[in-house]
Amino acid sequence: MSYEELDHTADIRLRVRSPSAESLFAETALAMMKIVYGESRPGEEARTIELGAGNTENLLLDFLSEVLFLSEVENLVFSTANVHITGNSLTALLTGEPFDPERHRGGTEIKGISYSGLRIFKEDEGYVLDILFDV
Amino acid sequence: MLERVTRLSEYEWEVPVGTVPGMRVPGRFFLSDSLYKSLESGAVQQLANVATLPGIIRHSMGMPDIHWGYGFPIGGVAAFDHETGVISPGGVGFDINCGVRLLSTPLTLGDLEHRRELIETLYKTIPTGVGAKGPVKLSIGDLEDMMVKGAAWPVNQGYGLPADLDHCEERGCMAQAESHAVSAKAKQRGMPQSGTLGAGNHFLEIQVVKEIYDPDVAKAFGIHPGQICVMIHCGSRGLGHQTCTDHLKVLEGATKRYNIVLPDRQLACAPLSSPEGKAYFGAMAASANYAWANRQMIMHTTRTVFEKMYGIDYESMHLVYDVAHNVAKMEEHSNEGKRIAVCVHRKGATRAFGPGSPDLPAGYAKTGQPVIIPGSMGSSSYLLRGTTTAMERTFGSTCHGAGRILSRSAAKKTINGAKIKNSLSREGIIVRAPNDAAIAEEAPGAYKPSAEVVRIVDALGISNLVARLEPLGVIKG
Repeated sequence: MSYEELDHTADIRLRVRSPSAESLFAETALAMMKIVYGESRPGEEARTIELGAGNTENLLLDFLSEVLFLSEVENLVFSTANVHITGNSLTALLTGEPFDPERHRGGTEIKGISYSGLRIFKEDEGYVLDILFDV
Repeated sequence: MLERVTRLSEYEWEVPVGTVPGMRVPGRFFLSDSLYKSLESGAVQQLANVATLPGIIRHSMGMPDIHWGYGFPIGGVAAFDHETGVISPGGVGFDINCGVRLLSTPLTLGDLEHRRELIETLYKTIPTGVGAKGPVKLSIGDLEDMMVKGAAWPVNQGYGLPADLDHCEERGCMAQAESHAVSAKAKQRGMPQSGTLGAGNHFLEIQVVKEIYDPDVAKAFGIHPGQICVMIHCGSRGLGHQTCTDHLKVLEGATKRYNIVLPDRQLACAPLSSPEGKAYFGAMAASANYAWANRQMIMHTTRTVFEKMYGIDYESMHLVYDVAHNVAKMEEHSNEGKRIAVCVHRKGATRAFGPGSPDLPAGYAKTGQPVIIPGSMGSSSYLLRGTTTAMERTFGSTCHGAGRILSRSAAKKTINGAKIKNSLSREGIIVRAPNDAAIAEEAPGAYKPSAEVVRIVDALGISNLVARLEPLGVIKG
């Protein structure tokens, strides 16, 4: 996983790098899981997300918001994500384990994913994302 | 960005129109020289961005705890004309009605035996941290009712006293709540979480009244030296977070439809009079009501723990007041000699209504409302009162806390949570949290000194100091 924490006083701002847009989406979702729950193990639970949006940035925001929602209401900590993007639509398969209060309280809650400073851009080695989570 | 700032007086600074394109009014913020040193360029940029929003009146304002957030700066206050103005979730935040309440007890420091056991019992009784579920199982009908009635819902269920409601901002209920504007997803998140503290900077703290600055007002607030109090800081949990997420998306579309040009997408907004603006306002109010109910339920649990451990009556523990930190409200204020209806956004800011203002209970009509300013973990918290000056200058608003100076990652890198816990313990402050990293992130060194923040609001007169409280023990989410 390739991400670094950028400076921000109140919240968590990440820069994520990945070879493709699809892996960028997947890695950001898993980075989010690590922020909320700390370390987790692979698990048998699987969930699918399908959605569409007007552009790539909105697709990413909607996807990440859905991951947060599913994780919270289904009490799941995801450790893998496979994302397929066609145009402005996305299908993702996430797998993970049930939330265990003994092992998954090493992180902090993400309240939301902000539009502030959100950008996705291409570099020679692939895609770069700057994103801010309200914690 | 900082080079555009001009100084107006000892504590007042201006961000002139033109600092970012499209500013309709200047930005104003209140800082001392020492606090100015930690002002980030990003916070000034955000203050200037807010000044571009349609219908903004007078100034885009930053309280002395101003710092870099998203959308509005934290510590940001802005009022919008009810006819020409807009409403924006970027001026409220994801944690709608994150707020704080202060509960007084008849105990004094000498009565507080078995303090470690008290903290441990509270930590085990009040669900905290990531993944916590509430003590009461709500039906969808209960939840709908809670979103409409706010703090009155738990009180009607026996989780509190009718008098508690008089001592909440808005009596713990915004009448404009529209539960149908809250999505099914938000409700699904809210159902299991009522009565939970949450994570991050949320906490419950046992405090002792250490110093009284204004004896008459302290008496009116029911506060005396050596008294044990409990401060509860939390918000609307997943229900509020999801409501912000859902409506941000809708309002982003609306921004384009109403031809509003924004410097930051997080300021997505719509006219107050538009269907999209009204839907967000109704959903935000419903989420705010959920937050008031949440704090009420946590206070109920706290009272029952104290009742059992110290043999004191439930009724002898009084709610001093409950204030919201992240909210937008329809209020009436004076502007250029006229009374006008405005929507005041307070993002990390506290209402500070002065003497004689509407919405104050009889007991506080002459003093102004209590303003509760939590310190960072291990440092002093303050009780202040709202003032006429705040009504005149800041649309009845003041600061909300200390304000961060160190990022969470920097705090985790430079501060050792376990060491902080031990050093606080040596000072007699017991900390209970799910992990040491949570302690490092919220350590006193990560925040501006709260004493300096409240000194400035007091000097400016936008609220006045009443009492200082020191922590004895804290449970963190």
